[in-house]
Amino acid sequence: MEIKHRLAKNYTMRALRSARMGLAAMIVATPSIAAQISIQVTEPGGVAVAEAVVYASVISGTALAKPKREVSIEQVNKEFIPLISVMQTGTSVNFPNRDKVRHHVYSFSPAKTFEIKLYSGVPGKPIVFDKPGEVVLGCNIHDGMIAYVLVVDTPIFAKTDKRGAAVLDGLSAGEYEIHVWYPGMPASALPAPRKLKLSATDAPAITFAFNAKTQNPAGPKPSQGK
Amino acid sequence: MKYFQFGRLEKRIVVFFVGLLMLVQLAGFLAISYVIEENARRNLREELNVGAKVFKRLLDQKEQQLVSATIVLTRDFPFRDAVATRDGGTIVDVLKNHGDRISANRLALVDMTNIVAADTIQPDLIGKKFGFPDLIEQAAAKKNVSAIRIIDGTIYQLVIVPVMAPAPIAWVVIGFVIDDATASDLKGITGLDVSFLGTAGSQPPSVLATTLTADIRANLQAQSVGLLATAGKSASVVLGREEFEILATTIDRYPTGFGNGSVFAVLQRSVNEGLQPYEMLKLALLLLGVASLLITLIGSIRIARRITRPVRQLALAAREVAAGNYGEPIILEQDDEIGELATAFNNMSIGLTERDQVRDILGKVASPEIAEQLLKQKIELGGEERDVTVMFTDIRNFTALCENHPPAVAIGLLNRYLTLINTIVDAHAGVIDKYTGDGVMALFGAPIGRADDPERAVLAALAINLRMRQLASELLQEGLPNPDVGIGVNSSRVVAGNIGSPSRLNYTVLGDGVNLASRLESLTKRYGVPIIVGEATAAQASKLVYLELDKVRVVGRATPVRIYQPMGKPEQLDEVRRDLVARHHRALALFRARSWNAAEDIFRTLRPISGYTSIADVYLCYLADFTLTEPGENWDGVFTLSDK
Repeated sequence: MEIKHRLAKNYTMRALRSARMGLAAMIVATPSIAAQISIQVTEPGGVAVAEAVVYASVISGTALAKPKREVSIEQVNKEFIPLISVMQTGTSVNFPNRDKVRHHVYSFSPAKTFEIKLYSGVPGKPIVFDKPGEVVLGCNIHDGMIAYVLVVDTPIFAKTDKRGAAVLDGLSAGEYEIHVWYPGMPASALPAPRKLKLSATDAPAITFAFNAKTQNPAGPKPSQGK
Repeated sequence: MKYFQFGRLEKRIVVFFVGLLMLVQLAGFLAISYVIEENARRNLREELNVGAKVFKRLLDQKEQQLVSATIVLTRDFPFRDAVATRDGGTIVDVLKNHGDRISANRLALVDMTNIVAADTIQPDLIGKKFGFPDLIEQAAAKKNVSAIRIIDGTIYQLVIVPVMAPAPIAWVVIGFVIDDATASDLKGITGLDVSFLGTAGSQPPSVLATTLTADIRANLQAQSVGLLATAGKSASVVLGREEFEILATTIDRYPTGFGNGSVFAVLQRSVNEGLQPYEMLKLALLLLGVASLLITLIGSIRIARRITRPVRQLALAAREVAAGNYGEPIILEQDDEIGELATAFNNMSIGLTERDQVRDILGKVASPEIAEQLLKQKIELGGEERDVTVMFTDIRNFTALCENHPPAVAIGLLNRYLTLINTIVDAHAGVIDKYTGDGVMALFGAPIGRADDPERAVLAALAINLRMRQLASELLQEGLPNPDVGIGVNSSRVVAGNIGSPSRLNYTVLGDGVNLASRLESLTKRYGVPIIVGEATAAQASKLVYLELDKVRVVGRATPVRIYQPMGKPEQLDEVRRDLVARHHRALALFRARSWNAAEDIFRTLRPISGYTSIADVYLCYLADFTLTEPGENWDGVFTLSDK
């Protein structure tokens, strides 16, 4: 509940940004003949699940390589923005501090353990997330601050929008396994990945349904201090 | 010793008061004891309930503190850092290290899949499922949890909090042992004995931590099943020899883990200890009771004594009074009813004394027999006819004696005579009728008559004469005058009774015979004899020897009377006297037979005999007269006396 609430709250700002980015991507990427998958994530009752991560791992065929990018996870008003990030293995992440107070960003997650001791502004070196897996970020002096990063070995990923919809595009023909991921939920509580064979022009639509409410007991803490 | 001897009344008073007080006090004591005990027990139960609330509150607070401390601990960055290393040894060390900071006894790390990753006490549990999955579930729902659970026979307060990084990465389980010391702390605040009991599986509950002594603990253990069945309600239970108010509460019941189990707390308060202040009160009551009992005992004895002692004194005095002894008046310094009684008694005593004195005086002025008679009978004027022998005595020439001596001597002398006569009359059962100056009138046969009255009268007369002669010789030696006595005795029928006026009367006798007795007394001078008895007397007292003096017609009396001088009892007479009496009577016979010369011869012969001279002279005088004028033919030997 909390996470959804927070997602909804920050949605507008982020939607604008991703729209901008999407637009840029569309301009950069050749709108050539390529397969795409439309994914709808809902709860069993049909309520859309926003901010769910979907990604496709390549079983056979070649993925359309997306350029590795540098991403930023900002700290604004003692919150990590974005709350949920998904990125390809090897992505460098910057942690610009937009607050007047310092932050102490850390992760004890096995996929990436690091710590940037109390700092302000933008730390000199970005952190390279070099292993796939879930990384939970926190601030040592603000227990309420949390961010989730899913590091995946594939460039094909997206997050669902407000309506629970996401599109994985730029796919070449081949066999894919489509995953859905939601922060704080063990794999067992998530829908099983789906295998799909795509031709170059296929555009299938698939739906994932799971109960994002019945989270793992160890799910994310509510944001505090806002 | 005498103080403890009780009379019946005294005993009754004391027993009544002391008994009453004891009864009242016993009833009071029992009632108060009952109320006190009830109250004390209610207080105890109240204390127990309050204590139980405090106890729960304490447990909650302790739990809160432990949870807070644990949360702070798990938020420690290096701790999380160490836990995140997932290095077994490091994790155990950091658990121990940080656990020590909050005095935890046992720490364990459980991963998100409920597998034990580290345990500071039992490393063998590593890799196994955590024993209390229900607690993990609760912790997940509530972000942390605390419970009291039994692990391996030890009670722990377990606190489970997640390690946040910042999402939960593991559970830290921290255990604080609940042992006797913990129970002791709780006892210090609640004032109750605290025991923790636990069951595991189907085992009976065992006492795992307690403030009780080993003995009571064993008893509690033995009765635990029954006790815990009534959990939630206070009950009176005897453990060992002591009675306790006990309240058992269930702390936790859990179905899973190290066997299904339950943890109970048993709170108890010693009834004896609780009643101790009331025991003091009871003791005080008891002491008060004993003190008041003693005071009442002493007081009632004193009051009883105040009543019975004077009563006994009065009774004793009354007995004395009954016996005729009027002692000192009873002096009681009490102005109560008893005092009044004593005063009344004294007044009565005085009254009796006065009456007795009256009686005594009466006895003296009258004579005891007459006084008796007077007191016995209704005093009224009038009399009865009786046969009485009357005796008159007279001291000759007493008037002349008085003139020659001071009155005191005269009175003294008179009293000696009268006392003597009185004594002899009394001794012969005669009654003094009255004193007439130096004379005495005595009665024999009144108020009470006896057959030998005349004889006793004559014997009395003889005795008086004898004693008078002895007295006379005594007086002669003292240089005092010793007048003779003359006694006249006569028996006759007289009137005896109270004579006088209603306000003043005498008991006396009246009659011709009385006058004759008086005349006979006077005649003693004429015949020169001490005693003259009348004819009737001599006839009735015939055992004695008489000497017939004459046959005379006294003044105022027509009938002549023979007069006699008593000589005494026949055996007491000597030859001379007997001879005298015989010769006199012969002479008298010759005289009366007109043998004047023969008679004269005898009278003249006898005249020198002492005591007879006057008699002889009387007859020689008669003979002298007869030589002048011989009596007539019808002379009967009677001489008429012209003077008194």
